[in-house]
Amino acid sequence: MTLEEKLQILADSAKYDASCSSSGSKRTGQMGCAAVSGICHSFASDGRCISLLKILLTNICIFDCKYCLNRKSNNIKRAIFTPEEICEITLNFYRRNYIEGLFLSSGIVKSADYTMNLLIETIYSLRNKYHFSGYIHAKAIPGASPYLVKKLGSLVDRMSANVELATENGLKLLAPNKNSQSVQKIMAYVKENKTKNFVPAGQSTQMIIGASKESDLDILTKSSYLYDNYQLKRVFYSAYIAVNQDKLLPNLKIPPLVRENRLYQADWLLRFYNFKVADILSWQKPNFNLLLDPKCEYALNHLELFPKEINTCSYNDLLKIPGIGVTSAKRIYASRKMFALSFKDLPKMGVVLKRAQYFITCQGKYFQDRSFYRRDYLEHNLVLLENAKETRKVEQLSLF
Amino acid sequence: MKKVNNVYLYDGSFLNLLSLIKVLLKENIIPQNIKIQGYEENLFSSNINLEIEDDEKIIPNIIHNLGSRIFNGIYYIYLSNNDDKELLIYYFLLYSIKYKDKVFVLRKIEEVNKGLKVIKYVGNENHKMKGFLRFKELKNNVLYAEFAPTNNVLPLLVNHFKKRLKNERWLIYDQKRNIWAYYDLKEVYFWDGLDINIKIDNISDDEEKMVHLWQTFYDTIGIKERKNDRCRQNFMPKKYWKYITEVENI
Repeated sequence: MTLEEKLQILADSAKYDASCSSSGSKRTGQMGCAAVSGICHSFASDGRCISLLKILLTNICIFDCKYCLNRKSNNIKRAIFTPEEICEITLNFYRRNYIEGLFLSSGIVKSADYTMNLLIETIYSLRNKYHFSGYIHAKAIPGASPYLVKKLGSLVDRMSANVELATENGLKLLAPNKNSQSVQKIMAYVKENKTKNFVPAGQSTQMIIGASKESDLDILTKSSYLYDNYQLKRVFYSAYIAVNQDKLLPNLKIPPLVRENRLYQADWLLRFYNFKVADILSWQKPNFNLLLDPKCEYALNHLELFPKEINTCSYNDLLKIPGIGVTSAKRIYASRKMFALSFKDLPKMGVVLKRAQYFITCQGKYFQDRSFYRRDYLEHNLVLLENAKETRKVEQLSLF
Repeated sequence: MKKVNNVYLYDGSFLNLLSLIKVLLKENIIPQNIKIQGYEENLFSSNINLEIEDDEKIIPNIIHNLGSRIFNGIYYIYLSNNDDKELLIYYFLLYSIKYKDKVFVLRKIEEVNKGLKVIKYVGNENHKMKGFLRFKELKNNVLYAEFAPTNNVLPLLVNHFKKRLKNERWLIYDQKRNIWAYYDLKEVYFWDGLDINIKIDNISDDEEKMVHLWQTFYDTIGIKERKNDRCRQNFMPKKYWKYITEVENI
């Protein structure tokens, strides 16, 4: 098998992992350096960023997870990279500025410890034989011995283990060989031991959306639990793509991309906007409205808290207003000390006024007659706003 | 301050521009515009060529009095392709004197807001180029890259590659402005207007194999069920594709 065939097989097997960020590390050395901000080097045909050489060490796997392309029972071409081959490709791509570093995951060969050793051997060689100091994100293999987790963690910038499914039941049904304890053991270990020499860029994880029956509430509750207890940098959400036929799996023609998008929006609200899960979802309404983003939905459900006065409300309240992001909230907060702000100043701060206008006053004024401040009217307008974007997209597509 | 209908001229260099602005600020003049010498006079204004001596102390003075953040800001504006960049620098300095670092939140003032947008645009393009630049390996192991950024980001970009590829010799060519930057393992040198021709037979033997491997990776990593050309183009504008190996032939 040629190197090119191997790369084709092992990149194809790795592409469903959503994580590709390269931020958070300050590593320097002889061959390359990490960039704290992270750098995107290209964008694939699906619009996702390519920052790292994302490959599996091998797609041979002893597990039989229903949703996974590489499951044992699938009859697909299998390949395995040698450590030398991975080093050669990584270094050559890196010098030419194709990539920011390496993302290395693997199917499980023989045992968790055996696979971990293969990963360590490869990355050890990159770091110590070739003095590579670019970014490396490695997947820890759940169930591996702690001393191996320690060793791998001391070589990489980010280490992560995937939760895959939000509930224990989902996992039992679709990934019978996995259990959430072994994943959380790794997360706990990384959290306890994180220093500038051990997983400096922190850890992340991924959940599959729409392969099992979990609600958005289940998923977001799990994310929130992980952020709070293991200090995760990111939780990635990956819309399920039907790679396998199985009676336990839904028969989806199109991946649930809008739902995935809503989860990312909500995830941002948790991390940067001081929202709690209970603010945006409840057991009576456990799934997101696909027509409206979670922040608009929140504002419509809490009309008694709005409209907020731009010139006096707290920073935290600014963050709660649809159409205002972290950057524009900071700009408003800093500017209004010098001048009183009016509606025409807000677009200069980066505010999306066509959304924000319904929920704010400037110097006591609402942008139209107050009698329009009713849920039915606002909801109608906001849904139209979202749908206008959709129609544009459809027109664009129908041209070709 | 008095507004005059004059266009003041400078020689195109950053230092000369700053010296001119210093004189204008000192004499409380708000110019109609500031342009490079050779700018065509129009009906509504007259061109003025002030005698200015290059003031070598001006850059240390700005940094000392206003801080390096403001200095970097005006340098970014200078590197932009904005038609009125000189005037934007003038206003940025004018308001910096009064507001110091708070000028960065002075978006209510239109001239400052424009300047801040330009600063962000240049910074963003510099960041994008850190990712989109593509090197080819030459036979003598020098890494060679071509690009044509909208703004003149090469002077900023070299700082990144000095750290990133510090043990490699590299050469970057801005095709739009005809500027070359060469790093010799110690320092970066700039030239403009050189007539260098990188011939195909100067490219290393490994190059084709690596380009091919990269193309294979690129074509494989996109998920077909999620195909989204518009999203890709938003992040990676078509104007750069000519210089990005994996998409130049799409």
